[in-house]
Amino acid sequence: MIFNSLTFLVFFAIVMALHYAPFFSWHQKKINLMIASYLFYAAWNPPFVILLWISTVVDWWAAQWMVRAKQDRTRKIWMLISVCVNLGMLGFFKYGGFLLNNFVAIAGSVGVIYHPPGWDIILPVGISFYTFATLSYTLDVYLRRSKPAGSFLNYALFVTFFPHLVAGPIMRPTELVPQFDEPRQAKANQIFFGLALLTLGLFQKVVLADGFLAPVVEAVYDAPGKMPGMLDSWVATLAFAGQIFCDFAGYSTSAIGVALCLGFAMPDNFRFPYGAVGFSDFWRRWHITLSCWLRDYLYIPLGGNRHGPARTYAALMGTMLLGGLWHGANWTFVVWGGLHGLYLSAERWLRARFTGFTPGRASILGLALLTFLLVNITWVFFRAKTFTAAGTVLTGMAGMQAKPDALIAYGPMMIAMLIVSGIFGTHIAMRNTTLEAVVERTPSVAIAGIWTLLLFAVIIEQGQGSAFIYFAF
Amino acid sequence: MREGALPAGLRQTASNRPGQAQPVPTRDIPLRPWVRIGTCVFFAVALLLAGWEWNARRNLGLRAGDIGDSPQAWAEARRAADTSQVAIVGDSRILFDTDQARFEALTGVRPTQVAFVGTNSRTLLEHFANDPKFHGLLLVGMADTMYFGMPVIGVGGPAVHNYAKNDKPSQLTGLWIDRWLQKYFAFMDAEYRLSNLTNRGLDHGWRKKVDSPYEDVWKISETFPGRQYFMWNRIETDAYLRGHARHAWDGFNGPNIPPALANKVIARTAEAVRRIRDRGGDVIFIRPPSAPELRVNEQRRIPKALGWDRLLVGANAKGIHADDLPQAQKLVLPEFSHLSRKCATVFTDAYVRRLIELTPRLKLRADAPAPLSRTDCVPQNIASL
Repeated sequence: MIFNSLTFLVFFAIVMALHYAPFFSWHQKKINLMIASYLFYAAWNPPFVILLWISTVVDWWAAQWMVRAKQDRTRKIWMLISVCVNLGMLGFFKYGGFLLNNFVAIAGSVGVIYHPPGWDIILPVGISFYTFATLSYTLDVYLRRSKPAGSFLNYALFVTFFPHLVAGPIMRPTELVPQFDEPRQAKANQIFFGLALLTLGLFQKVVLADGFLAPVVEAVYDAPGKMPGMLDSWVATLAFAGQIFCDFAGYSTSAIGVALCLGFAMPDNFRFPYGAVGFSDFWRRWHITLSCWLRDYLYIPLGGNRHGPARTYAALMGTMLLGGLWHGANWTFVVWGGLHGLYLSAERWLRARFTGFTPGRASILGLALLTFLLVNITWVFFRAKTFTAAGTVLTGMAGMQAKPDALIAYGPMMIAMLIVSGIFGTHIAMRNTTLEAVVERTPSVAIAGIWTLLLFAVIIEQGQGSAFIYFAF
Repeated sequence: MREGALPAGLRQTASNRPGQAQPVPTRDIPLRPWVRIGTCVFFAVALLLAGWEWNARRNLGLRAGDIGDSPQAWAEARRAADTSQVAIVGDSRILFDTDQARFEALTGVRPTQVAFVGTNSRTLLEHFANDPKFHGLLLVGMADTMYFGMPVIGVGGPAVHNYAKNDKPSQLTGLWIDRWLQKYFAFMDAEYRLSNLTNRGLDHGWRKKVDSPYEDVWKISETFPGRQYFMWNRIETDAYLRGHARHAWDGFNGPNIPPALANKVIARTAEAVRRIRDRGGDVIFIRPPSAPELRVNEQRRIPKALGWDRLLVGANAKGIHADDLPQAQKLVLPEFSHLSRKCATVFTDAYVRRLIELTPRLKLRADAPAPLSRTDCVPQNIASL
C-alpha cells in the first residue's frame, strides 16, 4: 500500500478511528496498530509478510539470548546470526540475480560458459528498510548502547509500524520502542498539523514529482536510441534531482505526518539537502537516517577517523560504496556511491589543507551551487539503468553529442526548471532553520491559503498511484 | 511532542549524535490554531472542488460515470479472459468500435474486452498464445500499420508486462474505490489532471521535432464498466476538439513497411494462432474501418494485398475486413480513426453477424434484434463532420 492511494486514505481513516476509540485499552490499540501494519504490508503481496515475521522473530530472540549470554563469544555468535539472517534475506531477494549475473560474466571472461536457469525473484517491498531497522536493534544491544525491549509486542510494533515500514525513516529501537510504553494520543492541534504535513508530502510526490518532473526525466532517460544534447541532458538531470527529492522527502514528510496523527514522533529524514555546502553537509541533510545508520554500524566499526587518514579514506569509500549498493543491485548505484565517497574524501583532504578558510556569504552560495551541480553528476548514475545510458547523458551534459536529439518540449521544460529553481532556492533559504520555525512565523491566513492550494492541487492532479522511487530499494 | 517550534539548531537529528543510541525524537508543533486552520481548509477545498466539478461538467463536457481505464482495470479484464468464451484484443479501434451490449444482444455472449489503446495487437495475440488457460475465441482487432510496423508493444506495454503485479489487494481496492468515486465525480479524468492542463496550455509545439503535450492525442473516449469504450460525444459535436484529434493522428503517415518485416509478423502470427488452436481455442481477425484520409496512407505503407490478405493465408485464419461488410460502409468516423458511438453499434452488429457465419462458437439468438444499417447512425447532414 502507498500513501498516495485511495486505499490508504480509507485504511488511515479506519486506523485513526480504532486508535481513538475510547473502548480499547492501550495494549489493544498497540495490537490494532500491529495488525494494521501487517495488513498495510500484505496489501502489496501477502506471502511476503513471512519475511517480515522472520526478521522480527530472529532478531527478538537474538537480542534476548545475547543479553543472557555469559561469554562475549556467545554474544558475538548471536549478533552474527542476526546479521547473517537479515543480510542473507536481503542478499537473496535483492542481490541474488545480480550476483548470479556477475558470476556468469566473470566465468565467461575466463572461458567458462555457464547458462543458469531463469531466476525471477520478486523484490519484497521495504526489505532494505526493515532489515536495517531490525539489525539496528540487535547491533545496539550487542554494542551495549541499549537494552532489549521489555515487551515483544512493543518490539514487533517497532519493526512493522506502518508509517516507516516500507521506505523509512529508518528508525532505531531506542527512538520508537519507548513511545509504545505509555498511551499515545495526539491532541487535535497535533492531528491537524500531521494532516498538513501529510498534504505537503503528497503534494511533493503526486504533483511535483509524478505530475511535472517525472515526464521530463523520462523523455531523456527512457528514450532508447536517442542522443540528448546539452540542454536536454541537464534539464532532465536537474528534473531528476527535483523528482527524487520530492518523491523521497515527500514520502518521509507524509510518514512523519501520519505518525504525528497517531501521536508518535518520527525523526527528520531530510533537512533541505540542496542547500548543503560540501558533501559531509549534504549527507547530514539527505536521507539522514540511512547515512547515520551507515555511519554508526559501518563507518565507525571500520575505524572511522580514529586510525589515521589512510584508514579514514578507506572507511569512507567502503561505506559509500556499500551505501550505493544498498540502493539497488546494479553497478551504476555502486558508482553513484563511489562518486560520493570520492567527493567526501576530496572534501576532507581540502579541509585539512585549508583549515583557516572561512567562506563569506557569496562563497557559501557559490559552494552550495557547486555542491548541487556535483551532486547532479552523481544522479546521472543513480537514474540511468546502464553505464551506456549514463554515458549518453553525460556526453550530452558536456555538450559533446555530435548530432543531438531534441527531446523535451519547452513548456514542460520551463515548468520543471521553475520547480527545481524553487526547490534549490528554498533549500538555500531554509538551510539553517526548520519548516516548523518558518510556519510559526507565518500568518494563519497564509498557512490556510497555502494548505488549501496544496490539497486542491493534489486532488485535481488525481495521481496514478505510482510507487515511490525508494520502494524499489 | 513540543508545542511551539524549537529555536534554530535545537532540533537535532542522528547526524548530531554519532555512535550513540538515538533518543526519542522531539517533534515540535508550530504554535498556530491548527484546528481552525484545518477546518477552514476543508471548507475552502470543498468549495474549490465544487467549482472545479461544475467547470468539468459545464465547460469541459465531462460526465460522471465515465470511469476511465487503467493497468489495474486491464489486469482485471485479463484475468476474466482466461475463462471467457470470447475475448477481444487489439488497439483502440476495436476498443471503440465494439459495442459489447450489442454483441451480447445478438449472441447471448458478452465478450471480454482486453484491447488497449495504442497497443500492437500482435503482441496481445502472442500474450494469449503464451497463456495455457485460454481456450476461447480470440478476436484480434487490428490497425494495419501498427500491427505490421510497430516494433514495440506500445502504450499498453506496462499494463501487459506488470499484469501479474496489478492484482494485489491494494491495487484491487484502489480500483474499486476509484470506480465508485468516478460514478459521482466528472472531474476525475486523467486527461484533465492539473499537469496535463498546465503543459498543454503552456506549450503549443514551440520546439521543433519534439512531441509537445499539445500535439498528443487528448481525450477522445469515455469508458464504462467492462472497459466499454465509446467516442467522447464532444469529439462528435466540437469542431475544435475534433480537428485537434485529426491533427494528432498526422494522417497515420510514416515509412512504408518493409516486406521482410511483414513476413516476420505473418510468421509470428501463424505460430501464435497455431498455439491457441492446439489448445482448443480459435482466432479471428477483424479490421475496423478508417476514414479515406487515413486509409490512403495506411494502404501506401502496407497494402491490403501484402498485409491483411497474406496474413489470413499465412496464419490459415479467417478475418472480417470493414471493406467486406456492406452495412459498415461510409460510417461516421469523426476524427478519421474511430467510429462515432452510434456507428460503433452498427459496425458491431455487422461484424458479429459475419462472425456467426464464420465460427460455430457463436450463434444468433432467436430473439436477436433486427440488423442495423448506416441510416441508424449517420446524421441527416454529415457535411459538418
